Amino acid sequence: MSVLAKYRYVFLTGLQSSLVYRWNFAARSAFSLVHLSFVFILWGAAYRGQTDIGGFNLAQTLTYFLAMLVIQFFISAQNEDYQIGEDIRNGMINQFLLKPIDYYAYRLTLFFSARLVTGCLALLPILLAYPLFADTLSLPSDPWRLLYGAPALLLSALIQFSIAYIFGLLAFWFLEIQSFIILSLALETVLGGQMFPLDLLPGWAFRLSQFLPYYYQMYFPTAILTGRLDQAQAAEGLVVQFIWLIALYGVGRLLWTRGLRRHTAVGG
Amino acid sequence: MPLIGYLRLWLACLRYSAVRALMFRFDFIMWALVELFWMGVNLLMVSVIYSHTSEIGGWNRPQMLLLLGTSMLTQRLLMGFFWSNLFEMGRNIRSGTFDFFLAQPGNPLFMVSTRKVDLDSMANVTVAIGLIIYAVRELGLHPGLGDLALYGLAVFCGLAIHYSVLLLTASLTFWTIGSQGLEGGYFTLTEFSRLPREVFKGAANVVFVWILPAVVVSNVPARALLDGFNPTLFAWLVGSAALWLFIATSIFKHGLKRYSSASS
Repeated sequence: MSVLAKYRYVFLTGLQSSLVYRWNFAARSAFSLVHLSFVFILWGAAYRGQTDIGGFNLAQTLTYFLAMLVIQFFISAQNEDYQIGEDIRNGMINQFLLKPIDYYAYRLTLFFSARLVTGCLALLPILLAYPLFADTLSLPSDPWRLLYGAPALLLSALIQFSIAYIFGLLAFWFLEIQSFIILSLALETVLGGQMFPLDLLPGWAFRLSQFLPYYYQMYFPTAILTGRLDQAQAAEGLVVQFIWLIALYGVGRLLWTRGLRRHTAVGG
Repeated sequence: MPLIGYLRLWLACLRYSAVRALMFRFDFIMWALVELFWMGVNLLMVSVIYSHTSEIGGWNRPQMLLLLGTSMLTQRLLMGFFWSNLFEMGRNIRSGTFDFFLAQPGNPLFMVSTRKVDLDSMANVTVAIGLIIYAVRELGLHPGLGDLALYGLAVFCGLAIHYSVLLLTASLTFWTIGSQGLEGGYFTLTEFSRLPREVFKGAANVVFVWILPAVVVSNVPARALLDGFNPTLFAWLVGSAALWLFIATSIFKHGLKRYSSASS
């Protein structure tokens, strides 16, 4: 079987198993709309009495948060870390050691199929609610933003997956990895720009955040597409983003080979 | 069982939880850190927004920190005393392990709600209190014993409301098989308790201030420290607590009647 055909089957199986959980995803995107109303209320109140925060008006800031929400459903890792950890604990990875299939590529394929489903399902309620907030949005239309935004999105998805993969592999060393995952989620939430646009940080802190992988998880593609970064910053960012991806991939590979040495293949 | 019996039972559970925490020290530290980090996330958000604006809904930075501290305190108390108990209740109903609680000689609701105390959350209660003290000092407030007692009472009512909401959602497991939305729903709702009441307008005002008890739980205690005793606000808080507690326990009791165990 050719390599492509092999992972095509994985992708199709992934699509089917994600569709089984469509109601869970629908519920999650409904909650995210409630969260969005929290964001709109909070920032609406912060803008009362002024038209500009950090050089952006209310419409631009709300657009940033909405874009981030939509992008999140298409590229962010959700429970991949947990699933990988479970595979290791239950001994499910044993079968991958015996078959000609690469575990990283297998998981990555499943990740892409799951994001396709969650992304499209999340778009539905947002499109339905769109008329409610259409007037409050402002999206820039420079063509270069799409040109830079598309690869940034792809790299972000790969970085998201690689970080989740690394956390999942911690199950080789620790019995319970849930606390690590939620701890890292807190860092991602802040340093990925989900609580506030990172450009609102003091100058030195914003600059510092650009050298951390979290910046490239969510903030970077969102900021390109919603007009918070200029072309030079976007070009520089793409380079750093690519370096981070290589580094994280390397760490993932290293942990995998090290972890397998410790692995004692329980159950199966 | 007399009241003193329940107290003894609860103390035994507390002792068990402490022994457990000492056994899994690394876990204890990690989970305490997790909560600390999340509190830091919210604190950072408030700091960043206030570095660009001087007020939100008429609340200045230290006032907002007082509100945030109050909301954190209530949430930590809920996490410490009830969260994992009620979360496990949902799971036990599905698996049938819930029988075990019914077989115990005591009120099932008490047995279900107080089995474990999460000491990592209780450790973070001190952090929340620290934030409240900081905000009170920044505001130049000098609350007397009476003010503190009122504040304590208001936080207690807030805790009762949070508990009711959680019990209500967990009790739905008696009817439905899944309760995956439980966690997400609770956290999404408590987000709104970190906002001042004044920022809610129109439909949001109706939903989050009047229909759902999201805003009342944090705003009334914080207002009590800021402006002193306000009978209308207190009546609203105590009334909501009683109402939600009544609704939640009624639904729990109805669910209990319906419960028919599950095969293993």
